[in-house]
Parts: sequence; C-alpha cells; structure tokens
Amino acid sequence: MMKWNLYSRGDKFFAIVVSILIGMFTVATLYPFIYIAAVSFSSGFAAQAGRVVLTPIEATWEAYGYILTDPQFWISYRNTFIYTIGGTIMSMLFIIPGAYALSRPQLKGRRFFNLFIAFTMWFNAGLIPFFLNMRDLGLLDSMFGIILAFAVNAFNIILLRNFFEAIPQSFEEAARMDGANDFQVLWKVFVPLSKPAIATITLFCIVSRWNGFFWAMVLLQSEEKIPLQVFLRHTIANLSDDDEFAIVQTAAGFSAETVTAAIIVCSIIPVLIVYPFIQKYFEKGILLGGVKE
Amino acid sequence: MSGVNLSGIVKAYGAVQVVHGIDLDIAEKEFVVLVGPSGCGKSTTLRMIAGLEEITAGDLTIGDRRMNRVAPKDRDVAMVFQNYALYPHLNVADNMAFGLRIRKMPKAEIKTTISEVAEILGLTEYLDRRPADLSGGQRQRVAMGRAIVRHPKVFLFDEPLSNLDAKLRTQMRAEIKRLHNRLGVTSVYVTHDQVEAMTLADRIVVMNNGSIEQIGTPMELFNNPANTFVAGFLGSPPMNQLKGTLTESGAKVGETEIKLNGSVATQAGRDVIVGIRPEHVTLTAGEKTTALPISLDLVEPLGSEALLHGHFGKDSLVFKTETGGDINHLSGVGEVHVNASLVKLFDAETGHALSLGA
Repeated sequence: MMKWNLYSRGDKFFAIVVSILIGMFTVATLYPFIYIAAVSFSSGFAAQAGRVVLTPIEATWEAYGYILTDPQFWISYRNTFIYTIGGTIMSMLFIIPGAYALSRPQLKGRRFFNLFIAFTMWFNAGLIPFFLNMRDLGLLDSMFGIILAFAVNAFNIILLRNFFEAIPQSFEEAARMDGANDFQVLWKVFVPLSKPAIATITLFCIVSRWNGFFWAMVLLQSEEKIPLQVFLRHTIANLSDDDEFAIVQTAAGFSAETVTAAIIVCSIIPVLIVYPFIQKYFEKGILLGGVKE
Repeated sequence: MSGVNLSGIVKAYGAVQVVHGIDLDIAEKEFVVLVGPSGCGKSTTLRMIAGLEEITAGDLTIGDRRMNRVAPKDRDVAMVFQNYALYPHLNVADNMAFGLRIRKMPKAEIKTTISEVAEILGLTEYLDRRPADLSGGQRQRVAMGRAIVRHPKVFLFDEPLSNLDAKLRTQMRAEIKRLHNRLGVTSVYVTHDQVEAMTLADRIVVMNNGSIEQIGTPMELFNNPANTFVAGFLGSPPMNQLKGTLTESGAKVGETEIKLNGSVATQAGRDVIVGIRPEHVTLTAGEKTTALPISLDLVEPLGSEALLHGHFGKDSLVFKTETGGDINHLSGVGEVHVNASLVKLFDAETGHALSLGA
C-alpha cells in the first residue's frame, strides 16, 4: 500500500471519489437492514407514524411476541429449513457431477451439452408451461416437488465447470495413474480442490432457496407446506385489512409494520449465521504448491 | 519380466501424425532416456506407455502383456510429472498414500511403506506438511515417493527436473540415479536436457520430428553419432559442422584440407559435413593434426576451461580448451589444431555418418 503522500493529485482525487462511492453503496446496502431491525423493535404507533429512522422508537418486544407464538410461523420456518437444506443438497448432487462431466474434454458431445445447458439461462418455457409440467408430474403442492424442481441451475453448473476446467490436467492424470476411477478423481481430487467454488455455489443455493418465494407461492397450496417467505406474504396481506387485528394491535403495542419487520429479521438471522462459516472458503490459493507453474 | 517393448508405435491426432512408428525394446531394470527438442514426440511416447494417450497403431507390451487397451491404473506403471501434480489439499504422507488407499492396501501396511520410502527420500520429518510448505526439491522428492510406494514395474519420468534451479537439478539427478541403482526398476525418462540424458541413461534414445534418430549408450552416441542431428544435439557445446568436399587425402573445407584418419581416396569429390567436437582440438600442433585458421570473436572463461567463439569463413565455431588458470594467452589464438582421429564425417545430403576406410 502506497503512502498517501506519494499519491499524485490524480490518484488522491481517484481515491477520494472511490471512497465516497463505496461509502454510499455501503450505506445503501446496510440501511434497509438497520431500518427493518429498528422497526421490528419499535411500537406499532411509532412505526405507523413513520417516526422510526435509525433506532427503535418506544422499544418493545411485542411484535416478536406476536409472531413467535403463532404456530404457523414455526411450521413455515421449519419448511424453509427443509427446502433450503434438502434443495441445496439436491442441487449439489446434480451440479457437482454435471459440472465435472461437462469440464472433461473426453465427454462425447461436450460442445452440444454445454450449449444446451447455457441455452436454458436465456430461454425457457415460461411460467404456464412450467406450471402445467409440474401439475402433470404430480408435483403440485408437494414438498419434494419444490426441492426437485429447482435443483439444477445452469449458471451454477457453468460456474463450477469453469473452475474444474482451470484445474491442471496433471492432477487428474496423477490420480488415474494412482488407480482412481472417474468418481474417485471427482470426489478425492476435484471436489477438495474446488472448495472455494463449491462454497460459493452452496451459498448461492442456500440464499436462493431461503428467499424462494414466487414458485413456492404458485406451486404450494397447503398452509402446512408453505415456506417462511410465503407466510410473510400471507401475514402482510392478512394484517393490512384485518379490523380485528387493528383493535388487538392498538392494545398490544404492535402493528402490521412491526410484525412484518420482525418476520423479516427472523428470516435473515440463519443466513447471517451461516455466512461466516462459508466465507472462510472464499479465499484463493488453495491450488498453490501442488504444481509448479 | 518387466521390460517394455514398443513396436511400430504411431500416434496421430486426426490427420496429423506426431509419432511415426517407433520401435524400442527396453530391458528389465534398464534406465532409458528419451531425449530430443520440444515437439519431437518424446513426451507423447511416454504418455502412451503410461496410458494417458491412446496408441493409434502398433503394439505396446510391458512384461509379457499387451497394454494398448489397458487402463493406466492396471499397467503397473508410476509416473513422475513435470509439475509434480501433488494434491495440494493433502499432506506429504497422504499424497504418497493416495494410490495405496485407492488400491485398498491395509492401513498398517500403508504406514510401514510410507515410512520406509520417506526414510529413503529423506522426507520423514516433512510427512505432516502440505506441498505448499515444501521447497522445490522436497516436492520433487514427494512426487518420486508417490511413484515408489506402489512398487510399480516401470517408472516413467516426464521432465521431472525441468522446474528446478541448476544446482538442485544436479543434486536431484544424482539422487534419481542412486535410487535407480538401489531399486532396480525399469525406468523411462523424458528430457530435453542432453546433460541429464548423458548422466542418467543406460541407453539414450534421441528423437526428432516423431522418429527415433539413434539409440545407444551415452558414449556410443557421443563418439559415433549416426547423423548430424544427433551430433548437434548431444555434447555441450554441440559439435561444429563445416561443409566440405572429400579429396584424395582428406576433406577440403574452404582453403584448408583437414587430414583424416583413414582412406577416403575412393570417394574423392563427395560433398560432406565435417564434424569437429569443441573439445577435440588443441592449441598446439601435434602428430596428424591440421591447423584450422579461425578469427576469434570471444573468449568465455568457465574456470578451468574456456570456450573460444570464432569464425571460419562464414561458419561460427566454438571450441573448448583448458585455461591453466589464465585466459590472457587465449585472446591471441588464431588457429586451432584438429586431431585427424577425432574428425567425424557425414554425408552432406542425407546427414548420415560416413565410415572411413582403413
């Protein structure tokens, strides 16, 4: 890192502009989190009056008390975990071997398959054919249907394929000489060498599953199968035009706004907990030392 | 029996043939070095022996078994790669044990084998380290260890020393030689470095453009190169090659007639290439020597020896001479003396060596 005194005027100007832009970006990213957290701990009156800016106003746990005692909240929370864990495992079972196969030069028809998979990134059948397809497969209102339907993601496959392709061929050759078959080459050499890429993709899968809303809403009807995001949507819809609730909340000190915020905070927490554990793999250099460049 | 036999081995990528029918018989316990310039097909040949490249035509046998369609893991060969190819996520012991575990060797046996081999290679104290924490020489040794633990019939080395610095290369070269003497495993070694070839090989195979130019012991190849390519490839610096014509009594090069050891009278008038090894000249005249006038460009001191770079007509020449600890007297050199018995002759058209009549 150069000393500030050694910067030219142009460099200083550049550094200042960059810092300002990054600062603005950070605030823009962070503020909604802070705001939502503040609202969730504020009183219903304060939230409705729009008085919450940065910190809780008339701080209270009431909103959390309301949702944490709702059994449907816990059911959808559990469902979200099932969809996230099951879906991520299912995705990795498809993505890792798929990416490996597509990365191998000896795969017959490799160009065709690669093109075919990339094709789905830009063109797909669309909402209604997909819905009809799921219906005909008997996967409507099915938890397994949700897990299976979104297991394969072209972008993730291509990302991992590129990473596999960059692994020097001599690793595979050495493993083959050592007696490894394709599966052993994949699981004992390629997967450990690709931890950063796999961690990234795992996180992508987890986040997209955790936040999965639209298709869950379209495909699931039973209350006992909906995930948290759909529950959140139902709650917002219900509370907004529920007169009975309006009376209760006034007495209890929470409102539709604070309850919504509390659900959002609860839904963010697990991702925040998982991220640091995966983040350690987001470092380069795991390939260093094995081959001499 | 663990010899290796290549018979009419061809490698083609589509319409492009890169190895044109190689015949080579490697005896059990022999150390054979494939040497040649980049792109001569030596690595491809080695990879065909390993099973990493398909053989387009011809037969490969290891021991008594035809190996053309046998998977690499079933050929009982081990390979040391140019870039080591050590698994970065495993420590030294696990790297060496990788192949043994896949072959389901009992744990206790793996442990004994690893510690024996680590002892031989001086790696005992590094068994817990990852490749990234090792020096170049140590990584090279781990790569060899990984090959040795399996007790294969054949070792294949693909330019294993080319990533090491000069000093370490010399050291590792000696280690490989000692290891071969100790283990007595048939070895095929690929290099583009003729010094490695000369020092390590029982027999050298010189390759060029996908074909074998000559097979022989290092000294056979050095003393009697079959053609100008081999003559120019082996030896450091390479053999000087001058265009000339045979006369009744010798070979005429420019205005100088170089005396030859043997009769060439019957072939007078034939165009030849006269080969003179840099070290086969003296600065003083002797019996049966010819004075070759040169214009000296440069003296490169190497310590006990020096290289004299000069011109003879338009041809650049290099000679090697002893310094006796002083190079000042070399700056005035105007001619070198060529010993008749050490001059080589090659046909100017084909480049093949010519033998001299008695």
